[in-house]
Amino acid sequence: MNPPPGGTSAAAPFSRLLEMLRPDLLRFAFWLARDRSVAEDVVQETLIRAWKSKDELKDPAAARPWLFTIVRREHARLYERKRLPTVDVEEVEALGDPALASDGDAGLTDLRRAIMQLPDEYREPLVLQVLGGFTTAEIAGELALTQAAVLTRLFRARNRLRVIYGLAPAEDVE
Amino acid sequence: MSGALEHRDVRLAVGADPGHLSPEVEAHLAGCAECRRFRDETLALDGRLRAALELPLPEFRRRVTPVRRYALAASVVLALLVAGGAWLFRPSSALAGEVAAHVQEEPDSWNGRDPMPDATIAKVLETAGVEFDARLPVVYAYPCPFRGGRIAHLVVQTAHGPLTVLLLPHVNVTRREKFSEDGLHGLLLPAGSGGVAVLDRDGTVDATEADAMVSAVRWEK
Repeated sequence: MNPPPGGTSAAAPFSRLLEMLRPDLLRFAFWLARDRSVAEDVVQETLIRAWKSKDELKDPAAARPWLFTIVRREHARLYERKRLPTVDVEEVEALGDPALASDGDAGLTDLRRAIMQLPDEYREPLVLQVLGGFTTAEIAGELALTQAAVLTRLFRARNRLRVIYGLAPAEDVE
Repeated sequence: MSGALEHRDVRLAVGADPGHLSPEVEAHLAGCAECRRFRDETLALDGRLRAALELPLPEFRRRVTPVRRYALAASVVLALLVAGGAWLFRPSSALAGEVAAHVQEEPDSWNGRDPMPDATIAKVLETAGVEFDARLPVVYAYPCPFRGGRIAHLVVQTAHGPLTVLLLPHVNVTRREKFSEDGLHGLLLPAGSGGVAVLDRDGTVDATEADAMVSAVRWEK
C-alpha cells in the first residue's frame, strides 16, 4: 500500500513509540482507575491527545513521563466528564478480577489486591515511582506536593504492603 | 555511624525510595544491622511490587464489561478516526502483524461455543459502525480499540471450526493479502472503504468462506 500524500516518515517513529509504551500506559491507567474498561478508554484518549500534541515532545526519551502525565489528566477528565462512579474496592475484590491473578503465584495476586486497596494518595505515587520510573521530585511536581509529602506517602504505601508481605511495619512518620 | 541520622529517618528514606539512598543513609546502613535488614526486606518487597504492577495484559480483554464499552461519544469516535489517520496508511504487511497480534491478545475468544445474544452483537456492530449478517453463528463479539478507532472483533463458527473475523471500517485495505503471522493464518480483504481480516488458527483460511464473510458485511455510512 502506498503512503498517503505527504508521507508518514515522521509519524511512523512516533507511532512505534506509542505502540511500545502502550502496555505500561494501560497498566498505569488500570492502577489509577482500578477498572479495565475505564483504563482502556483512558489510554485510547491518551493516545489521541498524544498524537495531536506530538510536536510538544522534543525528546523521545521523555516520552514515558510525558505520556504518563497525559494518562493522569485523561483519567481525571474522564471521571469529570462522565461522572463515573468511583470503584468500590470491596466490589473489586468480590469480583476477583482476573487481571489481578497470577498463575501459580498466590502471593503476587495478594499483593496486587493489596495495592488495589491502598488509598489513592498512596497508590498513585507508588505506581508512578515503581512502574513509571518517576523520581520523588518528579512525583512531587506531578502531584503538586512537596517532596517531603511524597516521601511520606511512598513510605506509608510500602509500610502497608510490608504487612501483606508478612513483614513487620516500621514505625509511622509524622 | 548511627549518630547523624535517627533510625526512623533512615527507614523513612528507605521506605520511600529504596533504590536511591543518600550517602548519609548509606553510611548509617553500614553501621546498623537492623536498618540494613529493613533495607534488604524493602528491596525484596520492591522486586515483588514491580512484578505485581506489571499486570498480564491479555487478561484485559477476556471479559466484556457492558455499557461502558459502548459509552464513547460520537465526537470521541470521530476524533479517534481523525487522530488515527496516520495508522490507516501503513503497509498491509504491518497490518497483518497487528491483526495477528491483536487476536493473540484475546486467546479466549476462540473458545466460545454458544451463539452470542443478538442484542450484544448488535451493540458491538453499532459501536464499530458496521452491519453483519446476523444469520451467521457469532460466538464472540467485542468492540475492540484498533489503530485509533473501534473495530468489531467477531468469532464465527463454521463447518471447519471457528474463524475470527475482524471488521475494520476505518482501515483502508486496498488489496487481498494472504498471511501467516504468529501462528495464525489469515486473509486481509478489501471491503467497501474499509477491510475485513479473517483468521484461522488451525490452517489456511478457506477463500470461499472468507469471501462469504466479506459479503456479509455492510458499512454504516
